[in-house]
Amino acid sequence: MAYKWGMAVDLDRCTGCEACVTACHAENNIATVGPEQADAGRAKHWIRIERYWEGEFPDVQVKFRPVMCQQCDEAPCEPVCPTYATYHTEEGLNAQVYNRCIGTRFCANACPYNVRFFNFYNPEWDKPLHLQLNPEVSLREVGVMEKCTFCIQRINHAKIDAKAEGLESIEDGTLQTACVQSCTANALVFGDLNDPESRVSRLSDSPRGSKLLEDLGTQPSVTYLQRDSEE
Amino acid sequence: MDRRHFFKVTAASGATASLAGCGNPENQLIRFIPEEQLVPGVATLKPSVCPLCSAGCGVQVRVMDGDVEIVRNGQAGVMKKGLAKKLEGNPEHPINQGKLCARGQAAIQVTYHPDRITGPLRRTGPRGSGQFETITWDEALADLVSRLDTLANAGQSSGLAFLTRPLRGQKDVLVREFLRRFGAPDPIAFEVFSDSVLRRANELSFGYRQLPTLDLARSNYVLSLGADFLGTWNSPVAQNFGYGEMRQGRPGERAKFVQVEPRMSQTGANADEWIPAKPGTEGVLALGLAHVIMNEGLGSEEDAGRAGSLIEGWSEGLPEYTPEEVEALTGISQERVERLGREFAAATPAVAIIAGAPLAHTNSLFQALAVNALNALVGSVSTAGGVFFTSRPNMNPDLDPTVNAPGPGQPIDQFAADILAGDDSRVQILLLNDANPVFGTPEAWRVRDALSAVPFIASFGQFVDETSILADLILPDHSFLESWVDDLPESGAIGSIASVAPPAMRPLHETRAMADVLLEVARTLANPLDPAFGWDTYEDMLEAGFRTLPAPAGATVLWRRAQEDGGWFGEAQEQTPVPAEAERAPLVYSEPDFEGDPGQYPFHFLPYASQAFLDGSLAHLPWLQELPDVLSTAMWSSWVEINPETAAGLGIADGDMVEIASQQGSIEAPALLSPGIAPDVIAVPVGQGHETFTRYASGRGANPLRILAPLAEPETGTLAWAATRVRITRTEGEGNLILFAGALREVEERSR
Amino acid sequence: MNSAADKRMTEDLLRPLFHTSLKFYVAVAILGSGVIMGVGAWAYQAYYGIGETGLNWPVYWGFYLVNFVFWIGISHAGTLISAILRLVDAGWRRPVTRCAEAITAFALMIGGIFPLIHLGRPWLFFYLIPYPSDRGIWPNFRSPLVWDFFAIGTYLTASSLFLLLPMIPDFALVRDRTSGWRHRVYGLLAMGWQGSTKQWSRLESAMHIMAIAIIPIAVSVHTVVSFDFSMAVVPGWHSTIFGPYFVTGAIFSGIAGLIVAMAVLRRLLHLEDYLRPIHFQNLGKLLLAMSLLWGYFLFNERLVIWYGNETHEMGVFWATLAGEYAPFFWTMVVCNFVIPLSILAFKRTRTITGTVIASVGVVLGMWLERFLIIIPSLSYKQLPYSWGSYLPGWPEITIMVASFAAMGLLYLLFSKFVPIISIWELKGDDPTVTVPEEPEPRAASTRTAGEFV
Ligand SMILES: Nc1nc2c(c(=O)[nH]1)N[C@H]1C(S)=C(S)[C@@H](COP(=O)(O)OP(=O)(O)OC[C@H]3O[C@@H](n4cnc5c(=O)[nH]c(N)nc54)[C@H](O)[C@@H]3O)O[C@H]1N2
Ligand SMILES: Nc1nc2c(c(=O)[nH]1)N[C@H]1C(S)=C(S)[C@@H](COP(=O)(O)OP(=O)(O)OC[C@H]3O[C@@H](n4cnc5c(=O)[nH]c(N)nc54)[C@H](O)[C@@H]3O)O[C@H]1N2
Ligand code: SF4
Ligand code: SF4
Ligand code: SF4
Ligand code: SF4
Ligand code: SF4
Repeated sequence: MAYKWGMAVDLDRCTGCEACVTACHAENNIATVGPEQADAGRAKHWIRIERYWEGEFPDVQVKFRPVMCQQCDEAPCEPVCPTYATYHTEEGLNAQVYNRCIGTRFCANACPYNVRFFNFYNPEWDKPLHLQLNPEVSLREVGVMEKCTFCIQRINHAKIDAKAEGLESIEDGTLQTACVQSCTANALVFGDLNDPESRVSRLSDSPRGSKLLEDLGTQPSVTYLQRDSEE
Repeated sequence: MDRRHFFKVTAASGATASLAGCGNPENQLIRFIPEEQLVPGVATLKPSVCPLCSAGCGVQVRVMDGDVEIVRNGQAGVMKKGLAKKLEGNPEHPINQGKLCARGQAAIQVTYHPDRITGPLRRTGPRGSGQFETITWDEALADLVSRLDTLANAGQSSGLAFLTRPLRGQKDVLVREFLRRFGAPDPIAFEVFSDSVLRRANELSFGYRQLPTLDLARSNYVLSLGADFLGTWNSPVAQNFGYGEMRQGRPGERAKFVQVEPRMSQTGANADEWIPAKPGTEGVLALGLAHVIMNEGLGSEEDAGRAGSLIEGWSEGLPEYTPEEVEALTGISQERVERLGREFAAATPAVAIIAGAPLAHTNSLFQALAVNALNALVGSVSTAGGVFFTSRPNMNPDLDPTVNAPGPGQPIDQFAADILAGDDSRVQILLLNDANPVFGTPEAWRVRDALSAVPFIASFGQFVDETSILADLILPDHSFLESWVDDLPESGAIGSIASVAPPAMRPLHETRAMADVLLEVARTLANPLDPAFGWDTYEDMLEAGFRTLPAPAGATVLWRRAQEDGGWFGEAQEQTPVPAEAERAPLVYSEPDFEGDPGQYPFHFLPYASQAFLDGSLAHLPWLQELPDVLSTAMWSSWVEINPETAAGLGIADGDMVEIASQQGSIEAPALLSPGIAPDVIAVPVGQGHETFTRYASGRGANPLRILAPLAEPETGTLAWAATRVRITRTEGEGNLILFAGALREVEERSR
Repeated sequence: MNSAADKRMTEDLLRPLFHTSLKFYVAVAILGSGVIMGVGAWAYQAYYGIGETGLNWPVYWGFYLVNFVFWIGISHAGTLISAILRLVDAGWRRPVTRCAEAITAFALMIGGIFPLIHLGRPWLFFYLIPYPSDRGIWPNFRSPLVWDFFAIGTYLTASSLFLLLPMIPDFALVRDRTSGWRHRVYGLLAMGWQGSTKQWSRLESAMHIMAIAIIPIAVSVHTVVSFDFSMAVVPGWHSTIFGPYFVTGAIFSGIAGLIVAMAVLRRLLHLEDYLRPIHFQNLGKLLLAMSLLWGYFLFNERLVIWYGNETHEMGVFWATLAGEYAPFFWTMVVCNFVIPLSILAFKRTRTITGTVIASVGVVLGMWLERFLIIIPSLSYKQLPYSWGSYLPGWPEITIMVASFAAMGLLYLLFSKFVPIISIWELKGDDPTVTVPEEPEPRAASTRTAGEFV
């Protein structure tokens, strides 16, 4: 059976430690842009921890919410792309073909989650920092849009390994995206939604579960498990 | 092919490997994947240990082939080698169980940093000018050895000092043994956010001079007094892991978490109940809870035993700490104190944690002892869901036992004071290992002046920072991925742990492992250290140590398995606590001292370890510079957290440049209005404000540590970094606060 | 027919073609250097990267798309107006049509370039073009940007034809009055026009067909442009009213542009006798009507958002009405509504000066409207964490200025080589044109080429 990749984010576990953020940079060759460009609003973080303050001192609270590409089934970013550079895969992923992208940035506008990041300049790595680059993830040149891919290189890798080991499908848990693998509080769970037994499937059915901006009908593959509160 | 198998392959290949064709003898002992075994594009997983903080998480290094331009003996060339590509947590490791924090993920950038020192350097310009010339290892070692010989011959062996960041495991033993045999005093271990007070308190209360391991996964109630245990303190990854379990790991059960602190930390942001308390009174709250518990018969004095006896009036049920009294001192309403007391007693296992600012006052020993007593009262010591004290194996039974349980070295301020006192017969040669006290201490301690007065400084550091720039000789260490790593973690897992790992990759530059340099120096001294070390190489020393561990399957197997798994992970061993100290007067709450009169300096100054840079030692890593601080969302910046009302009163708006002045000096940074900070507190993250620390950190932001009052906790001499009062004024300067996020709030702001 | 009158008219209108003043060269130099600066800025941006603009996360569209919509809007006056006026055979249109149609052609060319300037990798613009590739790769026909490509392409073709057809007789006129290279060039352009009755009737019917065809095309173009926004679930964009709203705004700004252009020509080319107060008054009435229509749409659009009070929409709503973008918003309202109304509603003030003032205001106001449609919505999308703002970079400003210079330059050159007023049409029965010192009523026109020689 075909895979349907999804993620569950337990907001009651997430502590805002941001291990996932750095992990994603390390895995996916996301370039740092430096202070001037960061100041100009060009920093690239495929996953970010949104924090929202509530109330006033001393009765103040914070909510953390990791936001990455929601891999929408009805992705608003896809139809607007004039070159098919961003499109939907059979496995429900919103894929990005860098070679096809001409940089209209229409997709980023259409994405209600603002998870698409644009290369305003060619990325740079001060040598020898470039030696860290992951050979399994292609670099993105100036003028190209990029975003969370659900670590597609790891998915492909796992498929090949599974095949090599003669399994008919990837064993649940053996495949983890970089952010999930590093998530210190196990707030992130990744897996196959078509496998009813997978952890992500069971968590996605949790009564605490909901989708981000569900009312927009984007049908995300990411489920957020609401935080239990004391009172 | 499973992970374990990978380890076998690499360890095996490593064992047989030797580095041909590189004129660097020290490379002989480095293990690596030989070219013929590199499968292009196929990753090999190798264990290591994260060096970035004291947690000592186990790392799994993803190594792949790659072409590297390297220079060896002046010859440049491209060679194919195994390169670390990504760090993951080592799933086998009991502390971090496959996870790494944001900093650990970035640790790989230490190895590939463009500003790493690539070979031995000798100072050419005046001290601090940063002018060095490259020299060969032979020259460098000859220089150091001859100077040590001169010192020894002059009978001034005690004139050798070793200033280092806290070391653990065999490396610590090696350094101590080296100094001892040379006739020099113990090393001076320097860290900004020292936990000496808590260690001392735990020694007094429970007999273990170490940090506690938190068993959060099984706790039902967590009361944290200023402890940033999910962010920067103790063993963050282990504690995050436990936190996740404590929240959603047990169907139907969810622990309550209460955080007490005047400025909301990343940890506090996760609390169910967040309580700002008057700085320096947290211990009083703990005793208030204890009072309620004892008073309402929810627990009895005896249960606290040794820990209780250290608190004045404990046996009488703490009459001094009635809820009324507590409200008066802490500012927390008595109703709340009573409620918390009852909750704490009811929701067993409940645990209280104290760390950070509450232990950075002049009365912090009392504060720590108070919390210990509370934990003892509800029986949360060495029990499920409470605090544990991890047993650490003695790997050197034939050495002086104190080597394995080292006492705290001389505090850096005394060290500096002694030098400046002029009797310079004291320090002739200073060996510097990865400690940066010039950045990390108050201006008032004049550490820079003191070090400048030392005739000769040799540094093992991998980077030029504010302290190592004073060095006359630099003998750059390998990065952790290029050398043998080992660790005896102090906390983070209940079981006994001895981490170890061979080099994950060959050195990029002409660097050498500090441990092996010490061993070589010991050998080549005019009169070699006596008794001579039993080990030719640090690898030998590690093997010898690991062979002393309990090994049912035999020492050889254990040593081999340890290298495969990234360590030896044993059962919790029975530890014999240090006996209670006779006739020690029980402590009573005393007002903490603050420098700066409240009229002139109306605000408490709170520097805090930043999520990205901890004490500033990680400010050189670009990933961490561009990591948005989770609460402020600031990147590449320093900022000053101010309560919006306070700011309004001072005419300060978001992003305005403000000056913070203490009696010791002043710094400037942009203001950030935050609803999560008390009106009488001003907070600034530690980490930025480096003068010299690679292209990424130099000249960026402000360093709050420099304007701290030189107050210390009397018994341990630890800096009381939360004891400074400041005034704050708006300046004309342009604030350049780089934020990632747009809005502070999700709903309210829309209808502005 | 009175040849003296015709002669004078012809001379008046052909004068610019034969006499070149110093002023002309100065103007060309100034405007030309403006254009060159723009080209330079674009080259710089293409070389160093689109980062030279002020664009950022989350405001990925800025000045370039504002100007794109603006110029495509301007283009809606010319052809549409003249087509409508032709169909209803409004006599007063005659001196106006050509300057109007010219605006359309040039505004389209300029507007059409902005989406390319705006690309991250402009050198790959051809991916937008559906051409048979051996990889079997086609553009994504579901993307409004591809629709733009077709819509604008069609409109440009059609309006160019619409502009060129009625120029043929005048080219012939010039051909017949010149010799040397001019004779040859205009001869080529005249495409063998002899003014035979057959040719005349062909021309008339061609014009008629074009006039009918051009109207739906024009309407569709700005509707499609509005789809670039309304098709995305972005607060403030996702609205069914955008199609007509954009078309209205386009015609509105177009008429204003036309009035300004006419006033300038009138001055520079001394066409006071041909572009007369009546023309400005009539166009002023049209402008007034559009202003009211535009105001109605704006009110409608705002009211619905406010009444619906949908969380995400309100972020944008308040940012524009009361937040950081409020100054622009209220300036827009004043320029597009208050000023035109207070000037054009009264005959007394509906003078040339009056209409021109109103028009300048409208041009500015409509530019602001496009700015206010694009930037605030992107600044305040659904998730407040990702809210941001935008300030243009120097290339964006330079290229915008250059686009106005380009408009001026093209127009100037056009009026230099082509009679800016359609002579033969003007000579048709036109009550508004009575040639001075010439009382006699004209005989039924019996126009043949060469007659003027
Ligand atoms: N350095 C390096 N060189 C390589 C390889 C490598 O991995 N690294 N791989 C080799 C291999 S396996 C291959 S297949 C080749 C691939 O060689 P190329 O096909 O040249 O490489 P691409 O960049 O994939 O595609 C070429 C160009 O096609 C453009 N393109 C995308 N969509 C369209 C379209 O609709 N129309 C037109 N006309 N162009 C379009 C892309 O923008 C790109 O500039 O490269 C070979 N060479
Ligand atoms: N983003 C993006 N994705 C693409 C493409 C693109 O242009 N852009 N192009 C597509 C195309 S056309 C192709 S052909 C594929 C190529 O896809 P891949 O073949 O996966 O890409 P490569 O990185 O060229 O090669 C994979 C690995 O092979 C290793 N390798 C090199 N030599 C050897 C060897 O002798 N033996 C072994 N076992 N391994 C070796 C390399 O180190 C590399 O890690 O990528 C496809 N995917
Ligand atoms: S989250 Fe945004 S980018 Fe990702 S699929 Fe949905 S719309 Fe596209
Ligand atoms: S930016 Fe690239 S991916 Fe996004 S719509 Fe434009 S071409 Fe497609
Ligand atoms: S899934 Fe992969 S790409 Fe997406 S955020 Fe996580 S690490 Fe980044
Ligand atoms: S790593 Fe996990 S816990 Fe930490 S911020 Fe990311 S999602 Fe939250
Ligand atoms: S907590 Fe983070 S920095 Fe400290 S050792 Fe573990 S991974 Fe490294």
